Amino acid sequence: MVNLTIDGKQVTVPKTYTIYEAAREAGIDIPVLCYAKKLLPFGACRVCLVEVEQMKGRLIPSCTTPVTEGMVVTTTSEEIRKVRKTVLEFLLVNHVVECPVCDKGGECELQDLTYEYEVVTNRFVGEKFHYPTDENNPFIERNMNRCVLCGRCVRVCDEIVAHGSYSFVERGFETKIATAFDRGLHCEFCGQCVSLCPVGALLPRPFKFKARPWQLKEVDTVCGYCGNGCTLTLGVKDNQVQTIRFNDKNGVNDGNLCIRGRFGYSYVNSDQRLTRPLVRKGGELVETSWDEALEAVANGLKDSKGAGIITGARLTNEEFFLLKRLADAAGVTSLDHSGGECYKVLTEGVKDVLGLTASTGTFPQVETADVILSIRSDFYETHPVFGMVVNQAVKRHEAKLLVLADKKGKFTKLPNAETLLTRPGLEVDVLNAMCVALLEGGKARTEGVSGIDEFKQAMAEFAPARVAERTGVSAEAIVAAAERLAEAQKGAILLGYGLPYTPASRELGLAAANLALLAGLADQEEAGLYVCGEKANSQGAIDLGVLPKEDGLGAQAMLAAAAEGKLGSLYIIGEDPLTTYPDGDRVEKALANAGFVVVQDLFLSPTAAKADVVLPAASFAEKDGTFTNAERRIQRVRPGITSPGEARTDYAIFGALLEKLGAQAPAGPAEVFGELCAGLADYPQIGLDEIGPQGVVWGGEKLAPKTRNLVAVGGGKSAEGRFLLTTGSSLYHSGSTTTHADGPLAAVPEPYVELGREDAAELGIKDGDSVTVKAGGVDLKLKAKVGARLPKGLLFAPSHFAGTGLNRVFRGEAVVAAEVAKG
Amino acid sequence: MIKEFIQGLSITFKHLLPGHSTTVQYPKVKLQPSERFRGLHRLVPTQDREKCVACYLCPTVCPAKCITVESAENEKGEKYPKVYQIDLLRCIFCGYCVEACPVEAIEMTGNYELANYHRDDFVFDKQRLLNTK
Ligand code: SF4
Ligand code: SF4
Ligand code: SF4
Ligand code: SF4
Ligand code: SF4
Ligand code: FES
Repeated sequence: MVNLTIDGKQVTVPKTYTIYEAAREAGIDIPVLCYAKKLLPFGACRVCLVEVEQMKGRLIPSCTTPVTEGMVVTTTSEEIRKVRKTVLEFLLVNHVVECPVCDKGGECELQDLTYEYEVVTNRFVGEKFHYPTDENNPFIERNMNRCVLCGRCVRVCDEIVAHGSYSFVERGFETKIATAFDRGLHCEFCGQCVSLCPVGALLPRPFKFKARPWQLKEVDTVCGYCGNGCTLTLGVKDNQVQTIRFNDKNGVNDGNLCIRGRFGYSYVNSDQRLTRPLVRKGGELVETSWDEALEAVANGLKDSKGAGIITGARLTNEEFFLLKRLADAAGVTSLDHSGGECYKVLTEGVKDVLGLTASTGTFPQVETADVILSIRSDFYETHPVFGMVVNQAVKRHEAKLLVLADKKGKFTKLPNAETLLTRPGLEVDVLNAMCVALLEGGKARTEGVSGIDEFKQAMAEFAPARVAERTGVSAEAIVAAAERLAEAQKGAILLGYGLPYTPASRELGLAAANLALLAGLADQEEAGLYVCGEKANSQGAIDLGVLPKEDGLGAQAMLAAAAEGKLGSLYIIGEDPLTTYPDGDRVEKALANAGFVVVQDLFLSPTAAKADVVLPAASFAEKDGTFTNAERRIQRVRPGITSPGEARTDYAIFGALLEKLGAQAPAGPAEVFGELCAGLADYPQIGLDEIGPQGVVWGGEKLAPKTRNLVAVGGGKSAEGRFLLTTGSSLYHSGSTTTHADGPLAAVPEPYVELGREDAAELGIKDGDSVTVKAGGVDLKLKAKVGARLPKGLLFAPSHFAGTGLNRVFRGEAVVAAEVAKG
Repeated sequence: MIKEFIQGLSITFKHLLPGHSTTVQYPKVKLQPSERFRGLHRLVPTQDREKCVACYLCPTVCPAKCITVESAENEKGEKYPKVYQIDLLRCIFCGYCVEACPVEAIEMTGNYELANYHRDDFVFDKQRLLNTK
């Protein structure tokens, strides 16, 4: 700790602090322009100049100068004011002053400073910039005439997003920020640079000219897409979500967002939303009253042939709780979520080894980890903002990143990243081989671990050398990676998981947990094993046990039973199984053969179109309650708008159904939150309003394993063929909801099949060509996307789009043999 | 005392004589208000559009909250007011809107003849405001 005096105030701060940070801690305000909390100090603008007694004679930039013992700092004086004013005059020499038409007006840092320092005239004259605006993409407008060259965009895109879109080009007055060859922006469109630009040089295009910042009501809530659980601040006007506001004070994401969170909000305002309940009469879905629809659902749930309930994982904890109560009230034992097989089964695997069904650490702990193993490069695609934490760990703290994947991706391109490129579907084999390597090499942490001998015996076939043959990852690489992980002071294993990855879920969970145990990560003080569900509340669904009762069926079993006509009714909430579940043919049969089908959703999805009753539900932006993210953080979801037409929140629908069934519906989410916490030993016993801006992590920052059991795991299954087809997530989409959102659709508008350059050249296929993929006896017509990500022989198609027919190919396999041809 | 009385009344009587009245025979005769009079608003046109750039300063400053602006982008990519509307029944003629406008797009004219038969007739939309002389 260092002691210094700022404006006569005694301040004690850690020695890593800068003068600016010390002043901020002491509640003293120093103006800044190029400084940003999460970026490395840069010192470009000189607005933050202060006087330091020990360095008399010149003014010192407070944002880059570290504190030293005994420093005496003055932050305001006549001279300092004059210099700051001059700095602003310099900035305004060639800055076009078009505040009335600039969307930043009202929250522009340059405007605010100009006002504060009363810069009403300029002693300097110079030419204004006349650069054309870059509007090549639908997300971000770049108007470099307004740029003050603070470098925040350059730095955030490099340091945090690791995309590196921008750099400074030219010198002196000509200096400007440009993209590669100045060809306009083409990137992953996370919008981070927009959030950080202090002026109106980078602006969100979907929000162009829509409103002034002061007209927006800000509502802090949680992103409704993935399990990362980023804080979103909705900018609401006219009962519509107009934009997403920058907020680095709440939550765990430090203001970072991905394209889905930043630009994927438009579906909540969509005029395609369902606004009234529908019932099937004479073969057609017709609008009806809530009362009639609910009556029909209540009767359906009591069907003598039994009913099944399948829910998605984007409901709030409170809604899950009510749903369970509803199932009890209706005597339904078959209750499941998210296709049943994926994240749930993964956590069951982890539970067998560690006794846990959740991540052991929190996201921020990964930033200072020294070794990180990411299983699948897609991790950045399923959980992008957690991916940005990994970027920072690698780029700022020099963590070693190991990527175990069947294709390259963003992670594999990071400096210090080492990729174990395996044949698709065989990740489990490599993980097993790493466990074996640790045990054989005597590097394994074995105190307190049971089942070692059986494990060794059962896993003999996973000797690195043998696994190397099968997977294509060299034995040395496997051993070296395992050893790196075991040597880590603070290691992390990341495993992102969702519906498209259904196969071998349990095996992956077991294998990752075994490795975490043997490498000693599970017992570290921080970090460890991260299992991250795909959807906003995947973890909540596990914690609350939205699972079949003993005599009930899981989701897949329900669909199988329904397909055979053995299930009376099927109640599907917030899911589109016809699009996203494996074995679409069976889902189709299930919907046709179930006696009575209810779908509760925002849109008339392909599944809903086949239902007997459709209930219009609410989006996350209309809900009150909590989500639990992939690091166990319980966070507040708050309503920003009201639902369109007669649509109701799932909470309200379950409540009304409970009443129809003669049970009592609870008052509000606050009451339910209290009840659900009381029923879960791990959840904090607090009220809904006690959840602060950072949320509450249940079980504490680090969850210690409850058991230490090695469990032998069988290997994965690949396929044989000239081409192997895999599926998974695309960065721009999340589930099928994003296919109703303008932002993600603008980036990736239609389904595609990706193939490597080599294969494309061989087949004469160019980017954008239409191709036919033959796999599993089905012909798929898709656009080709040619890239450098995939090794020879591998095809990849994202799973988000309805109508692709991808889930008629995948019936529970990770990989299928395929043929691809032009046309 | 009677002298003062007569003196005072003489002023009164003088005003009764023709040519000495200050009453204006409205509506046959109209007053010319001063330059600074705050009457009906006017939106200033430019060659091909209104001068207003829909910056939302006037609706923000308006104490009566009677201005409605909706901004949009025109074919040339410029910001313009798709909707600009003043509800004169609520306006208090304070002139703050004129003062706030950064581009001098709104003015107040000497027009004080604002009576009308229907409430709706007091809502001045963009075209009416642009037509105000
Ligand atoms: S949107 Fe994201 S990836 Fe694109 S330039 Fe900005 S920060 Fe970089
Ligand atoms: S575009 Fe914005 S963030 Fe980037 S350097 Fe210019 S002012 Fe700074
Ligand atoms: S989709 Fe996931 S990573 Fe992206 S903003 Fe939402 S919660 Fe964060
Ligand atoms: S004159 Fe005053 S009350 Fe009337 S529109 Fe202007 S600001 Fe509003
Ligand atoms: S202040 Fe002027 S430019 Fe701005 S909206 Fe009002 S009239 Fe238009
Ligand atoms: S904020 Fe310190 S130099 Fe810019």
